[in-house]
Parts: sequence; structure tokens; C-alpha cells
Amino acid sequence: MISPIVLEVCVVCLGIFLLMAESFSVKSNKVVLAHGAIFGLLSVFVMSFFIEANPAQMQSSGFYVVDGLSLFFKRFALLSTIITLILAVDYLPIVQRLVPSAKPGAGTGEFFVLPVFTCAGLMWMASAADFIVIFCALELVTISLYVQVAYMRRSLASLEAGTKFLILGALSTGFFVYGITWIFGMTGQTGLAEIQRNLTINTEANQMAILFGLGMVLVALGFKIAAAPFQFWVPDVYQGAPTPITAYLAVASKAAGFLILIRVLEPFFTVVAFQPKLILVLALLSGLTLIYGNLAAIPQTNFKRLLGYSSIAHAGYLLAGLAAIGDAFAGRAVVFYLCGYFLMTFLAFLVLIPVTKATGGDDIAHFNGLGRRSPTLALAMLIAAASLAGVPFTVGFFGKFFIFESIINQHFYGLALIGIVTVASGFYYYFKVIRAMYWMPPAEDAAPVTISRLSKSAMLICAILIVVLGCYPQLLMRILP
Amino acid sequence: MPTLAHYLIVSGLLFALGMAGVLLRRNLLIIFMGLELMLNAANLSLVAFSRFNLGPDGMPNYNAQVFVFFIITVAAAEVAVGLAIIVALYRAKQTTHVEDLNTLKF
Repeated sequence: MISPIVLEVCVVCLGIFLLMAESFSVKSNKVVLAHGAIFGLLSVFVMSFFIEANPAQMQSSGFYVVDGLSLFFKRFALLSTIITLILAVDYLPIVQRLVPSAKPGAGTGEFFVLPVFTCAGLMWMASAADFIVIFCALELVTISLYVQVAYMRRSLASLEAGTKFLILGALSTGFFVYGITWIFGMTGQTGLAEIQRNLTINTEANQMAILFGLGMVLVALGFKIAAAPFQFWVPDVYQGAPTPITAYLAVASKAAGFLILIRVLEPFFTVVAFQPKLILVLALLSGLTLIYGNLAAIPQTNFKRLLGYSSIAHAGYLLAGLAAIGDAFAGRAVVFYLCGYFLMTFLAFLVLIPVTKATGGDDIAHFNGLGRRSPTLALAMLIAAASLAGVPFTVGFFGKFFIFESIINQHFYGLALIGIVTVASGFYYYFKVIRAMYWMPPAEDAAPVTISRLSKSAMLICAILIVVLGCYPQLLMRILP
Repeated sequence: MPTLAHYLIVSGLLFALGMAGVLLRRNLLIIFMGLELMLNAANLSLVAFSRFNLGPDGMPNYNAQVFVFFIITVAAAEVAVGLAIIVALYRAKQTTHVEDLNTLKF
């Protein structure tokens, strides 16, 4: 049996090893690095099935928890990093063109290595049980993502996206730390379990100060998960960042934000005085996010930007699930939604990259006539868009269905109404992509669309899983924590 | 004799100053200085809380003081990456003003 922390250590060692290999090898073909990283992460994924469940020394440390949820999110992080690397291999020609280098191919190695470090941060975050660990893991993820977003130094859009992400990310870090300070000041502890204990023993502690600190932390996490009104960085950063990194931000970074949100809110939900206030705040945030994300997506013409707004909208559904956390089923509904979101978002990005390579852009207009030029890609995109919109027989439908079920069980009828209306508006903007693919004539000078074998198999797996889980959601439900 | 409240007021002022810098100034470097000020405000109040709220055994909770070192280290890493991005932006655009960041539009 393997100790649980070995997983993270292995991922960090893999990253350092790949960096060394990158610096000292004479080979200029950096794709080998990506294949090494994918293989290494896959081995860690396999290892994660053989770890010791809940060893005693980890339980008593108070810094690191090993439970079903943390293990599940570690696998989630590993798989999303693997797909990001597959996307990155496909995207390499564009990165090479936009990175200044002395000789062709130089300066692109780190593009494959940085996601590995981000993955280690995500995995630590999944197990963090103390504000110190949460902070360090969160910063490992965020700082390595700053570099990745601004990676294409000859593209003004990428640099600008990186700068905006940097300023707003650092701002949210400031809020996060200051919030932690007040929570520490009022409870005297940094560990989440000890905070929970102190909150239940010491009920006359200054509640205003604790709520102030918690509010600051919520603002910071709102930035990370892209909840309105802290969502304004999302469209710009999603559009400007290299496409694989956009996918990574949309899936892994958001899922990690939600996990931290669940973990941080847990001690405070047990206090009777806080619970109704927190649920009200979550429900309000969710309603705002749903309305903003879905309405602002309607006029978009750039596909990456559209996916940015759509990811805001999905954050709204997930927050609605969190607001209904009193329902016994809501936690699993949120995790199920995240899994579905993982599949359909990555599938959309897997299709987007070959299209960008063939047509030179990522507007919706670049999808024109894809149905004739490459029927399989168009079919994959059709499945992704249908699932994102929530058409029945896709995993997206059941994700939304389970969330609505829990919010109606908790009697949030207003929120459920907003949710159903915004789903309808979602149909409209995802349909724009489908219309471009099947009803518009292709551009005259379009190059043929080619797909690499690796991304073709990833696409196939995602598409099949979306449809299969859309018909038999209990297959996934059974293995969720 | 300064009390906990004095430290908290200074730290709150530092935080507000930092945030005002981020929101009001238009130069990226000054904005970045504001961000660092916000982190240091948190450091000050962490140490103050830890020093003044002693545990039952008369010892402060040292977790918070160690946390301060982590924050300082992370802030240094953030500055290293952040300044590199700002320098790259300056090379490409010859400006560090936020108004000039207008390539990405609705």
C-alpha cells in the first residue's frame, strides 16, 4: 500500500524531471516531453487506486485529509491535466509561432511542464484541511497559471489576458488572506476541523467579525470559480489565453475552486446562526451568475468568449447546487455536474483546436460548413453543444436535472425558475454554433481539417461517455463519493 | 502601550490603501504595489492576532506566524512572475497603463 501523499510527490518529481530533461537534452522535439508527462500522470492515476485509505498519521496531522472526495478530485485533476496536455500537443504549431525563440522549437518545452506543476497544486488542494495548505496549494495553481495564460509572448491578446488575470488573481489572493486573518483572529485556529470545534464551543464569539472574514474569503473564491459579480476577468482571459490553457482554467481551476468552497463552508454550515445567511448569499450569487452568464453569452461571436460566458453560467448551476446543500442529494448532484462539465467542455475544446488550426481563428464564423468539411468533428461538436445546453440523453441534461431536483426539494422556487429560464436562453447561443456548422457554407480558402490520433481517441472517449452517461447516469452516480 | 485594536486599525488602513491603489491608479506597477500592500496588511494582523490572543497554556498559536512566512514567500513568487509578465507586455506594447489594454473587446 502507498501513502496518499506519494501521489503529489510523484507529480512534483515528474515536473522537475521533465524540466531537467528539457534543459539538458539536445533534442529539439518537445512533443516527447508532453508524451512523457501524459505517461507519468497516467501512472500516477493508476497508482491512486492502490493507496492506503485513511492512514492514522495523516488524520492526526490536521493539515491533510484523505477521504473519498479528495481522492475523487485528485483523479479529476490528473485526468484534466492529461487532456490539457493532449490539447497542448495539438496546439503546439500556434504556440511555436507566437513565442520568440532563437531557433525553431525553442522555448516551448515549459508549455508542457507547467501544467504538471499546476496539477500537483490541484491535488494538494483536494486534500487541504488547513488554511495554510489551502493558501499554498491555491497559489501554486494560480501562479503557474499566470505564466501559462501569458505564454504566447508575441500575441498581444495572450499578454493582455495574462496581465488581467495576474492583477485580478492577485487581488483575490489579497482578499483571501485578509479573510483568513479575521477568521483566525476570531477562532484562534487555522485548521478547518479546529475552527469547527471552536465555533461550536465558543458560540458568543464576535459573529460580525467572523462573517466579515468569511465574506472576504467568499469574494476571493468567487473570483476563482467565476461567479457574478466577480466574473469580469473571465471573458477576456478565456479569449486571450492559449486554447488548451483556457480549457484547463474552465475545468480544473473551477472544479478546484468549488472543492475549496465546499471545504471552507463546511465548518460554518454547522453553526445554526450562520447557516441561513450563508445559504441566502449562495442563492443570490447563483441567481446573479445564472442571469449574467446566460444573457451576456447571447450576443457573442467569438467561440472561446462564448465558452467563457457559458462557464460563468455553469458556475451558476453549481452554486445553486451548493445553496441546496441541506438536501442530502445535493453534494452528489454537484459532483455529478462537475464530471459532466469536464466531459463536455473538454470535448468542445478538442474540436475547437483542429478548427482553429485549419481556419486560423476561433470565431463562431470559423465553424461555417464544418458539417460538410469534417462530419465527425461536427458530430462531436454537436454532442458537446447539446450536452452544454442540456438536451435530454446527454450527461448535461442529468447534471442540470439533479441540481434542479435538489433545489426544488429545498423549496428555492425562485432560483429554480431562474434556472429553467436561463437554460432556455442557453439553447439559443449553443444553437448558433450548430447552425454555423450545418447551415452555413464553408469559406472558400479553408484548409482541410486534420486531427491527431491522440486527440481523436480523447474525443471519442468524451463523446461516448457523454451519451452513455446521458442514458444511464446511475453508472457514474454509483462511484461518486 | 499599543493594544490589539491599534494593530488591527493600522492593518485595516494598509488594506484599504492597497485596495484604493488597485482600484484608482492606472499604472500597472503602482497597482502591483497596492496588491503587495494588501498582503502585508494581512501579515500584520495575523501576527497581531497570534501575539495577543494567547492560548490556554499562555503560548501564542504559532501556526499563524508560520503562515506569515508562507505569505511572504508566495508574494515574492507572485512578484517575480508578475513583473516578468509586465515587462513582456511593455516590450510588446511600450506601455504599462491599463487604459491601453484594449485588444480584447466585447
